[in-house]
Amino acid sequence: MGANQRLRTRTVWLLIIILALGFGAVITRLGFLQLVQGEELQRRAIEQQLSDTPISAKRGTIYDSHGNILAQSASVWRVVMAPAYFDEGADGDAQRAFVASRLAAILSLDEKELLEDTKQNIYYVSVKRKIESEEKEQIIELQKEIYEKYGKSGLISLLDDYKRYYPYNDLASSVIGFTGSEDQGLWGIEYQYEDYLGGTPGRIVSAQNGISTEMPFDFNQNIGAIDGSSLVLTIDKTVQGIVEKYMKQAVIDNQVHERGVCIVMDVNNGEILAMASVNGFNLNDPYTITQEQQDEINAIDNEYLIAHKKTEDPSLLSKTERDKLIAEAKSEAESAALARNWRNKAISDTYYPGSVFKMITLSMALQEGVVDANSRFTCTGAYQLYEDTIHCHNTSGHGTQTYQECLWNSCNPGFIQIGQLVGKQKFWEYYQAFGFSDKTGIDLPGESGDQFFIHDGVEGNMLDTDLAVASFGQNFSITPIQMITAASAVANGGYLVQPHVVKQILDADGNVVKNVSTDVKRQVISDEVSKEMCGIMEENCISGSGANGYVAGYRVGGKTGTSEKLIDVNGDGSDDYIASFCGFAPANNPQYAALVFFDAPLGGSYYGSAVAAPVFSEIMSEVLPYLEVVAQYTDEELLNIDSAAGSYTGMSLEDAMNAVQADGFTPLVKGEGPTVVTQNPVAGAVVPSGGTVVLYTEKTDTPEMVTVPDFSGMGVSDCNYVAAGYGLNLSVTGMIGSAESTAIGQSIAEGEQVPAGTVITVTFGGGGIND
Amino acid sequence: MTTIEQTSRRRRESRERERRASSGRGKRKINFSLLNIGKGLDVPFVLLIFVLLAIGITMMFSASYPVAFYENNDSYYYLKKQLLFAAIGLAVMLAVSFVDYHYYHRFAAIILAISYVALILVLILPAQAGGVHRWIGMGSFGIQASEISKFAIVLFMAHWGSRYYDRMGTLKYGVLPGAAVLVSTAALLILEPHYSCIVIIALLTVIMMFVSGIKIKWLAVAAIGLAAVILLLWVTGLLTYAMERLDGWGQALNEDLDRDMWNATYQTRNSLYAIGSGGLFGLGLGQSRQKYLYLPEPQNDFIFAIVCEELGLVGAVVILLIFALLVWRGIIISLRARDRFGKLLGIGLTSHIGLQVILNILVITDWLPNTGISLPFFSYGGSSLLTLMFEMGVILSVSRTSNIEKS
Repeated sequence: MGANQRLRTRTVWLLIIILALGFGAVITRLGFLQLVQGEELQRRAIEQQLSDTPISAKRGTIYDSHGNILAQSASVWRVVMAPAYFDEGADGDAQRAFVASRLAAILSLDEKELLEDTKQNIYYVSVKRKIESEEKEQIIELQKEIYEKYGKSGLISLLDDYKRYYPYNDLASSVIGFTGSEDQGLWGIEYQYEDYLGGTPGRIVSAQNGISTEMPFDFNQNIGAIDGSSLVLTIDKTVQGIVEKYMKQAVIDNQVHERGVCIVMDVNNGEILAMASVNGFNLNDPYTITQEQQDEINAIDNEYLIAHKKTEDPSLLSKTERDKLIAEAKSEAESAALARNWRNKAISDTYYPGSVFKMITLSMALQEGVVDANSRFTCTGAYQLYEDTIHCHNTSGHGTQTYQECLWNSCNPGFIQIGQLVGKQKFWEYYQAFGFSDKTGIDLPGESGDQFFIHDGVEGNMLDTDLAVASFGQNFSITPIQMITAASAVANGGYLVQPHVVKQILDADGNVVKNVSTDVKRQVISDEVSKEMCGIMEENCISGSGANGYVAGYRVGGKTGTSEKLIDVNGDGSDDYIASFCGFAPANNPQYAALVFFDAPLGGSYYGSAVAAPVFSEIMSEVLPYLEVVAQYTDEELLNIDSAAGSYTGMSLEDAMNAVQADGFTPLVKGEGPTVVTQNPVAGAVVPSGGTVVLYTEKTDTPEMVTVPDFSGMGVSDCNYVAAGYGLNLSVTGMIGSAESTAIGQSIAEGEQVPAGTVITVTFGGGGIND
Repeated sequence: MTTIEQTSRRRRESRERERRASSGRGKRKINFSLLNIGKGLDVPFVLLIFVLLAIGITMMFSASYPVAFYENNDSYYYLKKQLLFAAIGLAVMLAVSFVDYHYYHRFAAIILAISYVALILVLILPAQAGGVHRWIGMGSFGIQASEISKFAIVLFMAHWGSRYYDRMGTLKYGVLPGAAVLVSTAALLILEPHYSCIVIIALLTVIMMFVSGIKIKWLAVAAIGLAAVILLLWVTGLLTYAMERLDGWGQALNEDLDRDMWNATYQTRNSLYAIGSGGLFGLGLGQSRQKYLYLPEPQNDFIFAIVCEELGLVGAVVILLIFALLVWRGIIISLRARDRFGKLLGIGLTSHIGLQVILNILVITDWLPNTGISLPFFSYGGSSLLTLMFEMGVILSVSRTSNIEKS
């Protein structure tokens, strides 16, 4: 091959290589970038070309069932920073240091972290949320300063933000829950309904060039924030208030160590009217523990370390190590205290339901038809099952009883026999049917499940001894919400309804987005069985073990329960108990059920009948009239019926005395004047029938005062006699039908000075039955 | 369009014409027409240059006006200057096309020596932005030393290859001189540093050796040696390190870069954003967003990213095809040159254009480190445009004597 020919051939090869390989590669690469990667690259390009500013959405309001505001958001501000605008080099470093130190000072943030934030090459860093107007003014000053000093604007900006307020502080705290620093729901309904309440944040999107001024082409899009939906709860602020008032008092009176729970539920549609875990926490300040808890934490010392097995012997450790351990223990204790305050015991705690469960066992037996009028159950005070002896609370025995009497006596051996008639398989089936084996699915976070018997890995596989104790509610754990839901099914004709706390969801304009309707899961027992159970339980509250839960003027049915706790909460070496009462009213047409539950009352009595039943009675006697449940008094009660005092002021003494008598009260005149100047009780105040109305005929600086006597231990008639003697009006509540009833509480403490004629409410309770 | 059929037809016709011309030697008509002085300029090549220059200036204007506006408060700042350079460039091209390229034959060694002086001088002169030593300034007018080097090496290799064409098969004449020139120039360029130019120079040298007729085995030896070095670097992990050190080469889209690296790859990343934004048909002429101060110096090396953004893949491919035609035509002209020196010179300069286009686009697409390769006819810059037009003039000068049909 000649030199020229070779040159020609090689040049053609060269041409082919340049065109095919070179240009081919280039075009392939461009095609890959523009077609395959194009979308992603374009997205990233647009990301930097558009300035994107988020707009907070206003969180929805939470209302109670009557439209009272339980939680609401108010306008505050958010500080944001665009660190990409800082200059490069030494100038930029000085700017960053200045901005970081000023921001740290104004917003009480960590300067080091802020300085790190300023080094990012991005246009949006959220510095702090929810600043109030005072801080906002300082930020505006800082913006001016930055502009004057460096000629820069847009480094620091203020955006609209919202802060959550809870007008009733600790009311229904564990139900409502609270929000975090980013306005996100952290607990309770705030957490559960985050998707509805939170809304959708908006954005302002506008085109900008590389130095963040406007682009000549037109692009500005404003995607408005969609404010969150509002919720209407089934919780009734008034009912919740009543419940918490009595629960708080009872927690103090009974020295309840592990807080108390009360749930009030509409038995027919599953609406929760009140759900309280007392004591709760202040929703406006959820991270602050009580002074008592703080004192306990402050008291953590070396002995605590030993007691909690943090170390064997603190004296072997150096001081720093010891301090570190104590600091750790304190921080752990604080977290535990917070978790304890926040915990919604009504759905998160599991407990042995105890005798309250007997209503379920008896319902099973009646539905299965294994007991009838001829069935008899003998109690000798104990029941021997294989090697185990199961005692009744009445160690001398209840003798031979009908199934009704078994419930009224709350007799354990009787229920063991009823349980045996039901059988293990059916017991497990009914247990499931009553919804104990599943979470209720209430619309709140943190619900626990049950713990039932498991043998050989099969749940519900019970031994004979398991069935024996299960029939009176021991050795398996359920939640309070499961118990009241099942009790509602017993009361309402046998229907297991879905408990819920949200009734309606409203959009930002107040239009109804969603109505929560009644969800009946299944019918567990027949209407007839339900009716019979209502009758038995009503009688139980009149003459049986539940008599302390009686509510004057209302036909209530209920069952007490006392169950052993597995842990010794206060470490005193003696067993601790849970006292509970679950009941409903009216018994002939049940509408509302309530469950009262005290975890570890240490004030002496721990029986459900002594601790929980009177509180149930107090709560229901105030809640039922509020809920406009028609009172149905017995003849005996009609004598004690309370009515409102009229206005007698300004009348002549004679007219006034006639009027007082016509109203069914007894007049008591103080002073020598011809006309009535003032009266006690005042007009409209509720006074028991036959009570005293004191009529003052002369202007005296102070009405006549009397000292409140101690009513405790007296019977109803004794109380009436004593009260009349002191010139006080007596209003009675609790168990007054029984001759054994004695006063167990009074609304005004002994020794206080009150004007004559003041109404004092005395709660009565029965003696004999410890359950 | 030039097709293979047309070319072969032309080949047949030109062969016929040459046969006729050789028989009537001495009776050649003297043409006074501008395009027909001597044997005349190659019209297709000239037309392609005009087309590319027109598109190039248009796109340069589109890419530069936001920068010009923000920096100089005059959107036409770069356009005006570039138009002036283009006018001067066209004049230079035409003037050079009249110069008999055989003059360069004589000065090849001297020009190569001048290129070494320039490369050394540039190292002595103070550094430019970014700490590189690339420009020799003459008042407001500067030239990159490597521009001289590229031309000088092509010229020297053409000179050597044509003079010792019968000894190119030997190691002493075929390989060593080219290798010596390449290694010495590359060493100086490493000091600048100007890596992408080393790649161009190496490729140009190899191309010139290849077409001059050296034995393929030497190229194979070089290729094996290069592969071994790369393999060694790769195995020891130095390659990755080197790639990272080379201004974040290949890292442009990595979102985890630290701030320093982020800044170093800023231009390449924004180039990729621009290219990707274009898609198939582009955002439309003048509609680039990345030129609004995101892509730094969009009028310079990265202008083709803006072209891709505005005209899309379709526009980019059309422009690349025009470049391909130019290369094709340049090679045709060279192959028909009257003598070996003309052929080699033409092939070298044409290859330079092609390589410059390919490497420029590989840089803006992050396949090569971002180290200053301009796009012929498109990138803003007086000296590079004038150098380019000078080289076009040389090719046209070759075309005057080239044995092809001039229309």
